[in-house]
Amino acid sequence: MSKNHEIRSKIKHVYSKDGTKTALASLLSIATGLAVGGIIIMLVSVFNSDIGLKGGIEGLKLIFFGVFNKGRDAFGELVFGFNPVNIGNLLFRATPVIMTGLSVAVAFKTGLFNIGAPGQYLAGTAATLILALKIPGYIIPPFAIWIIAFVGGMAAGALWGAIPGILKAYLRINEVLACIMTNWIAANGVTWIFENSTLRNGGESGKVGFIMKTTANGVATAKFGLDRIFPGSQVNGGFFIAVIFAILVYIIITKTVLGYEMKACGYNKDAAEYAGIKSKRMIVFSMAFAGALSGGGAALYYLSGNTEFFWSTYQSLPTEGFNGIPIALLASNNPIAVIFTGSFMSVLSVAGQQLKNLTSYNEYITDIIIGIIVYLSAFSLVIKNFISSDKKILRRKASSADENTHSDEEIITQAHIQSEEGDGA
Amino acid sequence: MSGEYIIEMVGITKEFPGIIANDNITLQLKKGEIHALLGENGAGKSTLMSVLFGMYQPEKGVIKKNGKPVKIYGPNDATALGIGMVHQHFKLIDVFTVLDNIILGAETTKVGFIERKAVESKVTELSERYSLKIDLHKKIEDISVGMQQRVEILKMLYRDNEILIFDEPTAVLTPQETAELMNIMRKFAQEGKSILFITHKLNEIMSVSDRVSVIRKGKYIGTVETKETTKEELSEMMVGRPVELSVKKEKAKPKHSVLRVENLSVGGKNSGKGAVNGVSFEVKSGEILAIAGIDGNGQSELIKGITGLEKISGGRIFLCDEDITDFSVRKKLQSGISHIPEDRHKHGLVLDFSLENNCVLQRYFEEEFQQKGFIKNSAVRKYATDLIDLFDIRSNQGPVTLTRSMSGGNQQKAVIARELDRNQPLIIAVQPTRGLDVGAIENIHRELVKKRDEGKAILLVSFELEEVMNVSDRILVIYEGEIAGEFYPDKTTVSELGLYMAGTKRKEESDSDEQKS
Repeated sequence: MSKNHEIRSKIKHVYSKDGTKTALASLLSIATGLAVGGIIIMLVSVFNSDIGLKGGIEGLKLIFFGVFNKGRDAFGELVFGFNPVNIGNLLFRATPVIMTGLSVAVAFKTGLFNIGAPGQYLAGTAATLILALKIPGYIIPPFAIWIIAFVGGMAAGALWGAIPGILKAYLRINEVLACIMTNWIAANGVTWIFENSTLRNGGESGKVGFIMKTTANGVATAKFGLDRIFPGSQVNGGFFIAVIFAILVYIIITKTVLGYEMKACGYNKDAAEYAGIKSKRMIVFSMAFAGALSGGGAALYYLSGNTEFFWSTYQSLPTEGFNGIPIALLASNNPIAVIFTGSFMSVLSVAGQQLKNLTSYNEYITDIIIGIIVYLSAFSLVIKNFISSDKKILRRKASSADENTHSDEEIITQAHIQSEEGDGA
Repeated sequence: MSGEYIIEMVGITKEFPGIIANDNITLQLKKGEIHALLGENGAGKSTLMSVLFGMYQPEKGVIKKNGKPVKIYGPNDATALGIGMVHQHFKLIDVFTVLDNIILGAETTKVGFIERKAVESKVTELSERYSLKIDLHKKIEDISVGMQQRVEILKMLYRDNEILIFDEPTAVLTPQETAELMNIMRKFAQEGKSILFITHKLNEIMSVSDRVSVIRKGKYIGTVETKETTKEELSEMMVGRPVELSVKKEKAKPKHSVLRVENLSVGGKNSGKGAVNGVSFEVKSGEILAIAGIDGNGQSELIKGITGLEKISGGRIFLCDEDITDFSVRKKLQSGISHIPEDRHKHGLVLDFSLENNCVLQRYFEEEFQQKGFIKNSAVRKYATDLIDLFDIRSNQGPVTLTRSMSGGNQQKAVIARELDRNQPLIIAVQPTRGLDVGAIENIHRELVKKRDEGKAILLVSFELEEVMNVSDRILVIYEGEIAGEFYPDKTTVSELGLYMAGTKRKEESDSDEQKS
């Protein structure tokens, strides 16, 4: 009885934690997004005789388990199991979006909405490719070129992020507007830079409009053995680097003086200034930091050695940049959670590819799902509040029914105090 | 008997999740009386009024008008019953004229056009009858706060309201304007209108009201005849224990100069007149200097200029004979300033930080709390715990409590604890008791006097004359960014200060010199 009681109070304690509620809210948005996606799949199958009910069910399976799909067998049935190519590609695609997710999250911590991640990503792309391809590989070892290109990509992103930061801090121009402008300046600028460059791939294997792979200069991210675990996929060590960055960002934000100042500015700029923190500098720094992460994401993507950059980008912005926003929102700006939400986004994108390759559906269904999740993740605070209020109603009902709840609550608070003491020690 | 009360709220109970805001409260307003509703902040006064205006539906209780139960589902129902209210924060449209604001929502129209002439003559008639003189064609943004309040009053009269509710109406007024408002209220009562006067200022209750109802922590304490009670009794009813209304302190023994401000000006480089214009004064160790004045006469800018939050346009600032004029905010704080800011939510606290993080807001980078760029969490925790014990800051989870979830009084305590504990030679306290209840005010005043006796220099900025007279050793009145005069609390009166605060009188430098000697 008492043990049961203990477990119950422990569960309640976990449930009462803010982080738990946040995670639940995110999971709820994801579940709703997937459910609506599933409904759309089924609706399409009902109204489209080409697909039919069987096709619809296949579509559902792929949406939920696409990562584990191994193609079709001899009878045309979908086969599921461990698919190293899909999982490897998932990690590969997750790498840049984890970085842009971190970028958006870092800016959010300082109270800034970094919608400029696509522009910073492009700036990073350009700098990385130029450095990786122009530095002569026969003089400088590829390893050193890799580092220079990666740092260069981050620096370019930082510079591009700092511009809206400076405009915001010193001229009070809304960072969202400035970011939109810098995004398109980047899109046009990058196109212009590459238009007359010698880095364009001269039509190898019939492709035009792409920049050479960095492998042309012998530069590529090390695989760290991932290619042996996931043979046939595009995976490389970049994923580890993104994870390390997530951990670093987490440490900076939660444990350091710098993080304290960033959060103080983000939560209350006036109080930060009152405390002697130079909030203007903090805004510029935070945007530059965010830009560096986006630029780093681009660098990791294009240094992988198996990606080509479509240089004529003046009409479109990279989705990797924009996807940073829902990834950060779903993660409630928690850098560690960004690793998971970023990976989840690429699960969906792999599933979309599977849909396109194996069924009559196109991959845009997954875009709809992502869209719904983005929508709901913006509401995640509302959902979180809903979860909290729901709990209160339950508790009130309980207290009217059973007087023991009071002691339950006491136990919870005691448990809380104990855990805090544990944290402190 | 039933006709005696024009409006009655009987046994009102209103619950919110986790809190009973109103617990069986009864409020009975007689026709033609001025009835004061007294209670500390958070006692449930606003909730009760929201119930009366139909914003909340009570769980229990009935509202009666002239003895008949009525149902109120929204402000429109309340207006239909003749209930009007002057809110603490005015509900006016700044860019509309006075007249437009008065008729807003109750326009008399003919085929869709406002009948300006008819409307204007009605408003003019009303303003003359109650001697509420006002220029109907001025925009709200161009008139004073006192005038804006008149607009609110005229709004109620225009709607033929017979039950008038004033929510903390004197908070923004000078003593003279307050006296005028009291007269207007008396006149209304004579004409048969019934007035409900919400306040926590005992002097005003004593001077104007017929009866007083007191609520405390959501509970109804009682209703007394004003004639038969005293301030002491009322404050005890309000707080629940005897309260010392005046601060006990010995005569100040000022020593060396701590803060010296010379010819300080803030703002107005391009526009001519700034917010602060050539102010000079000195605060000595062991004295409390109060800056008295009506809100908006340059007090905020003066303090922001001294602390570095706003750029100054002229003058020098010296702290313990060191020129700190060009120091950064942080350097100023470190060179010896404690600053209890005017607005604890805007400046004093990061509400989304934990209490412990707020405790080290100006000190997180000091060696005690930081090592190689990392915050020493255990040191912060220990310091915050000590501070919480020392100043009796109450919260539900101790150091890790989200500051936003704390009560206003405890938030303010946290700010004051942090600032006083930094133990700097100069303590700047701006409205340190704003929005606090009588008991908390008593404590804060005692702390300030204690720090004075320890030899600190205290610069107190307050809009409450009672506080100024009670706590300070010396008073400067500020009017339109200039020092209008210097006074000593034992040699002046509230009404004299009021004249200077309103700009009707002005003392020359020589006068104040005379007073000094």
